[in-house]
Amino acid sequence: MPETISSSIANFRPELALALTFIAAMIMEFAARGKGRLTGAVVLAGFAVALALMPFSPAGPERIFSGMIALDPFSVFFKYFVIVTGIVIVLFSFQSQELRRDAPRIGEYFCFIAALTFGMTLMAGAANLLMIYIAIELVGISSYILAGFTKSVRRSSEAALKYVLYGAVSSGLMLYGMSLIFGLMGSLDLVRIHDVLARGHAITTGWSFATMMIGVVLILAGLGYKISAVPFHFWTPDVYEGAPITITAFLAVASKAAGFAVLIRFFTVMFFDMYTTANVRASFSGVNWNLVLAVLSVATMTVGNFIAVWQDNLKRMLAYSSIAHAGYLLMGVVVSSDSGIAAVLLYFIMYFFMNLGAFYVVMAVADKIGSEHIDDYRGFGKRAPTVGVGFAIFLISLTGLPPTGGFVGKLILFSAVVDSPFLWLAVVAVLNTVVSLYYYARVLRNMYLREPLDGDISPIRFRPAVVVTVVLFIIPNILFGLYFEPLVKWTQASVAMLLPGA
Amino acid sequence: MSYPDVLFYVFAALAAVSALVVVFARNVVYAAFSLLFTFLGVAGIYVLLHADFLAVAQIMIYIGGILVLLIFGVMLTTRVTNVDLPGGVLKTMPATIVSGILLGTLLRLVTRASWFVEPELPSPEGTTAAIGDRLVTTHLLPFEVAGILLLVTIMGAALIARTNGRRRDA
Repeated sequence: MPETISSSIANFRPELALALTFIAAMIMEFAARGKGRLTGAVVLAGFAVALALMPFSPAGPERIFSGMIALDPFSVFFKYFVIVTGIVIVLFSFQSQELRRDAPRIGEYFCFIAALTFGMTLMAGAANLLMIYIAIELVGISSYILAGFTKSVRRSSEAALKYVLYGAVSSGLMLYGMSLIFGLMGSLDLVRIHDVLARGHAITTGWSFATMMIGVVLILAGLGYKISAVPFHFWTPDVYEGAPITITAFLAVASKAAGFAVLIRFFTVMFFDMYTTANVRASFSGVNWNLVLAVLSVATMTVGNFIAVWQDNLKRMLAYSSIAHAGYLLMGVVVSSDSGIAAVLLYFIMYFFMNLGAFYVVMAVADKIGSEHIDDYRGFGKRAPTVGVGFAIFLISLTGLPPTGGFVGKLILFSAVVDSPFLWLAVVAVLNTVVSLYYYARVLRNMYLREPLDGDISPIRFRPAVVVTVVLFIIPNILFGLYFEPLVKWTQASVAMLLPGA
Repeated sequence: MSYPDVLFYVFAALAAVSALVVVFARNVVYAAFSLLFTFLGVAGIYVLLHADFLAVAQIMIYIGGILVLLIFGVMLTTRVTNVDLPGGVLKTMPATIVSGILLGTLLRLVTRASWFVEPELPSPEGTTAAIGDRLVTTHLLPFEVAGILLLVTIMGAALIARTNGRRRDA
């Protein structure tokens, strides 16, 4: 064992800071009952400390805690992503009126945000099936609780219940799949499993092979549930609609990113041949996993986009749109070359700005007019010019039109796919983008071209903090649409992963 | 058949038959009690597999803790004891076909696949010491994270179950 526990802990400081944040927040909650916002401040401070510790933790690639966690630029990227999203969500939560109704319990809400963020940083680095499972459970259980946090609201409780049921089934399936893989390989370590497979053991033929297939498909079901890929997406609309909107945003952005981190690591480390030079990493173990993922990707984006067309509740529409985005992102995993994975990372950065921005506006509007219905957005562009323009930009960015960040994300992702043998996949994705334009534009039409139903055209005044936040989200959406060189460089440097033989 | 083989079939039959009762019993109390024998049968199989620590943990946690709580829960909830559970009203035919195919496939997998075989069996002295050793060395991190996971779960259960003092329905 080259690394010791103490050296592992030294390389684990950001995660440790998050775990301690959770504990500190809990103690704070006991010590100062009813002062929930103070707990929120503790969590915020803890996240800031974790973020500050990130540059001091080495980017490896190396394995810590006996191979449980991989330290590599890939996990570092996702840790930054998750922690920054956590900070943004805590700041959103301070502003949310929806949560104010449950103000006496808000302290616990922040505790769970800390636990959820901790779990997601573990997912980013987990390199052992056991660790992957525990990290996913930690994230899952924290999110069930948070989805049902506003329990005086009926649909929030309903969301939590559905989430628990789907979550329990999918994690049961995943665990069964992991047990099959363990039974065949005698190891839970991804790298060691790769080595067994690469030796071309008896495992790659006959019934053993079928067993492995079923195991991987079951694990894929668990991971697909986390990233809300079709056909494991049924929970998404109800949970996204029912959960407090801050949590919806958190799940749609950070939880999805953590799920992708695990998915990419799982397939890349276990099944893809590192030494192919083509623009696509082929899987070597007899199954064309690229094709399986491609089918999943097409189903996900198509179902997401087509059902989004019928949605009148904006939270629900954004839920389906996030399913569709998971489909686009899966294309990068299909290709799985360095450029494909870099494109996924870049897309996530853009997705962060556009999606959080959109959710923020929906939250601010719901706090103001008490509705998320598309008809209540009629004339919104005139009634609240700044926030309206912001929302329009976020929606255009989600569609992927220039000159926004969303366009750059899609451009680079699609071009990675075009360079691979999966050209047809890029064609399907472009057609899907056209469909998505319809439902995003529907909101825009209501905002700018239609009069309000009740004829009320009095301006909606938002607090300055809200306007400033919206502007802060507009800037990166436009800026990264025009100047994205550093982001591309950063993502390309972040694809290095702890691989077998390294 | 050797002596352990006979024992294996006894325990396996115990677990399987009582599991069927759990599923098919119309009375929740019968189902809960039957679960006791399922857990016991599984614990017996663990013993035969040299997993002594797991067997004891199974008995202490599942039978001693969870099951007793479950039965108490069932008994204290008076309404539940005599309720007939709905069964057989769902689409029986498709479910049977799907389950049959699944069972057939899994049985074939279990019997045909070349499973990984641990070169040496754990020593008959017991596995507890080895497990304890692993928990603070190679498996330290999952062990600690599981602790946090349980803490989160307890807090969450309390949060969900607690009434707020003042309730509002939206």
